Amino acid sequence: MNSIVDVTALNALGLGWQESGQSVLSGKLLELEARVDQSFVALARAWNALEYRFPTFISAVELQKLDYFRSFPHLVSFPVSLDPEEANLEHFAREPLGPGGEVQLTKTRPVREVLTPAACYHIYIHEQSRSFDRPRYYTTRNTCFRREQYYEPLRRQWGFNMREIVCVGTLDEVKSFLTACSAQVDTLLSAVGLEVAWTAATDPFFQPSKNAKYIAQRVNPTKTEAIFGGDLAIASVNLHQDHFGHTFGLSRQGAPSFSGCVAFGIERWLHAVVAQHGLDANRWPSFPASFPKGARTASAPVALAGDA
Amino acid sequence: MTTLATTAREEVRNWVLLHAKDLSEASLTDTTPLLEARHITSLLVPDLLLLLESLRQEPIDLANLKAGDLRDLRTIYARFLPE
Repeated sequence: MNSIVDVTALNALGLGWQESGQSVLSGKLLELEARVDQSFVALARAWNALEYRFPTFISAVELQKLDYFRSFPHLVSFPVSLDPEEANLEHFAREPLGPGGEVQLTKTRPVREVLTPAACYHIYIHEQSRSFDRPRYYTTRNTCFRREQYYEPLRRQWGFNMREIVCVGTLDEVKSFLTACSAQVDTLLSAVGLEVAWTAATDPFFQPSKNAKYIAQRVNPTKTEAIFGGDLAIASVNLHQDHFGHTFGLSRQGAPSFSGCVAFGIERWLHAVVAQHGLDANRWPSFPASFPKGARTASAPVALAGDA
Repeated sequence: MTTLATTAREEVRNWVLLHAKDLSEASLTDTTPLLEARHITSLLVPDLLLLLESLRQEPIDLANLKAGDLRDLRTIYARFLPE
């Protein structure tokens, strides 16, 4: 199934596409975006997740602890500013752009920050060196940035919005969370009429055959993606083992914490709704406004309270 | 099974015992889940693959690796060191 929706049709729904790989949302699509994310937040609240809104930048030193730059140098984007020395600023201001519209940087300040590549990184950094006496649940949303080889409206963007629900705890606590939350996501998908295939996946490592983590993910999958339309991953379930616990000194029961997350690509959900239900916004589904508490079993009945 | 195959499989078993944090001769069986139970961590997977390549004297095509290929000793033997 080719699930790509024509960009002209999306324009009429409130999409403004920028060739740099970013979307402007207004009108019906912006309204849908709010409802979609409110449903994700409702799911997080079922787990009594602490909600955070983190900054756009993330420390390069902290990301380096994860070996991020070795694994994903092709994806990373950096915020850059000019060296404030007056002569440098004058030099830059004389001809700031080249013939192709490219910024002609003169001397810059040292780059120490990265544009957020994944929302949940902020959580482990923020909580580092903490010891937990029970499993902890978090949710956060961030605009994330990844340089890709190509961009498509809503499907693959340089800047896109990611909502995550995270559990930090023992391995059993995290696995229980991932199992139950995945079931709740399935319920949500069913409620809004989106059919997906859950598929084992790997992270998009640079030079994957040379990366031990990629090879390990191939033989022992810790990432599963919800694939819509045969080719669009709109959500993922990720078991991090104790990787973040070790790296950032998070502990649970005297040992490095385990962690896992359920992540949603918000713009991709918009695309999926339009691809599945069409261009008439009146025919778009209502998104659940509440979910049963996460401590219940996955087989518990779902209370769908209508539009969020 | 040939003596060579036995030796190769023994080498794999010994490698696991050397690197697994909490396994003993008695507790390591052919069906002990190695990665899932975190007896072997992800960072050791390339080393294990290199060992298997040297034992079978054939390269392992990473593109053909599948989920579960290193699940336990029984799977490893069947997949990489068949009789």
